[in-house]
Amino acid sequence: MSPEPKVSREQVLDALRGVEDPELHKSIVDLDMVKDIQITDGRVNVTALLTISACPLRETIVTSIRDRVRSLPGVGEVDVTLGVMDPQERQALITKLRGGAASPTRRSSFLTPESPVRVITIASGKGGVGKSTVTVNLAIALTQMGHKVGIIDADVYGFSIPRMLGMRGRPTMIDQMVVPLEKHGIRVMSIGFMLPDETDAVVWRGPMLHKALTTFINEVHWGDDLDYLLLDLPPGTGDVSITIAQTLPQTHMVIVTTPQAAAVSVAQRAARMADKVNIEVMGIIENMSYFQAAPDQPPIYIFGRGGGQRLAEVQGVPLLGEIPLDPAIREGGDEGTPITLSAPDSPVAKAFRTTADKLIRRLPVPVA
Amino acid sequence: MSPRMPTPVEVGSIVGKTFRITWSDGHRSTCSWKALRLACPCAHCRGEWADGRTVDPSSIREDVHPMRIERVGAYALQPTWWDGHNTGLYTFHMLRFELCECVECTAARSARAAR
Repeated sequence: MSPEPKVSREQVLDALRGVEDPELHKSIVDLDMVKDIQITDGRVNVTALLTISACPLRETIVTSIRDRVRSLPGVGEVDVTLGVMDPQERQALITKLRGGAASPTRRSSFLTPESPVRVITIASGKGGVGKSTVTVNLAIALTQMGHKVGIIDADVYGFSIPRMLGMRGRPTMIDQMVVPLEKHGIRVMSIGFMLPDETDAVVWRGPMLHKALTTFINEVHWGDDLDYLLLDLPPGTGDVSITIAQTLPQTHMVIVTTPQAAAVSVAQRAARMADKVNIEVMGIIENMSYFQAAPDQPPIYIFGRGGGQRLAEVQGVPLLGEIPLDPAIREGGDEGTPITLSAPDSPVAKAFRTTADKLIRRLPVPVA
Repeated sequence: MSPRMPTPVEVGSIVGKTFRITWSDGHRSTCSWKALRLACPCAHCRGEWADGRTVDPSSIREDVHPMRIERVGAYALQPTWWDGHNTGLYTFHMLRFELCECVECTAARSARAAR
């Protein structure tokens, strides 16, 4: 009988390169999370360091370490011992994630004018036009096109992104760095994750809003592979909008409106604000454009017709899309599965995809 | 302000004799520190309702200069003056089209005023 092949430390380490931290999206080897590997007669013991002891995904890490190592020839049992990083090790990790020892204080990459991340603020004049609905469905559409997408729910008082994406839980904090929650492949940060429960109210004045927003932008680890960051603004031109305008050196705006004249004239003020703070409006999205009971029925223009088109003409920007009314949109939002995901072949999902396509044609991800 | 508004690619040193900006369209602006301070657009200097209030030139030292100049978003610069005054956000539009004292801009302004 031929002797069993012996597995080496290097082989185990190599296998572990394929294990990613589920929150930080990097190999645990690159993150210096593998502390020790012991091999005795085909029995492998891996000691891995978690960033924080309360890591919600520890089981995921243990399982993927075990699976990877067990698949190596000559490996019998696999034991995983978990430890926790000490403060120095955590600081070193944060420094690494922020772009290396040369710049421990380097801020999120989209805080430099040259950043490759396309930041798109979704704005409206008045409330209730479906900004958040448009944001989550655009995010899903962009993800389906193969892009890495993040969402900042900047509607601090009226946050609704967590519900619309069916998200719960608290972001992991690694010292001062916040790791966004993820669902349907979209990284999300919302004030909703910080509150005891969803019905809690945020009763804050401007300076607190400003602090929360700058934390979302500065301290959140969005990852270096992000293509698009969508920013769901609250309606109007208040504190949050000003903070965004003053914090981000490069961003583009999309304005959502409904067709009626009353909504359009208010939406124009959002465009006016963009002008004042030198943010380019990429286009208009008209939501709730019409209702069609069945494909063979004529569309009914419940909120009038052509408002989005008029606004686009006045602003000299393209109309990126007209999203029809459909009860399924609301249902998808309430249930946490946006329609673009649950019914990708529906006319509404197609409308969102066409809109996303037009948008990224105007704002392509730069080729490295 | 148009979205294609030029943006500063280089802001001169705060210890320079005058304030200098090189813009993304290649234009080079210059402005004396005192003129820049007098033009401060903040509510303290201008009044909250833009009621025509201006800064009294005699209240500003001739050798006024900032300690720091920071960029604000995609649209403005914010100097912190030697006395700590830092509430003025100077929009790129203002710096490029209203305050620039380069030969070309000064000539264009006086030609407009003569008309």
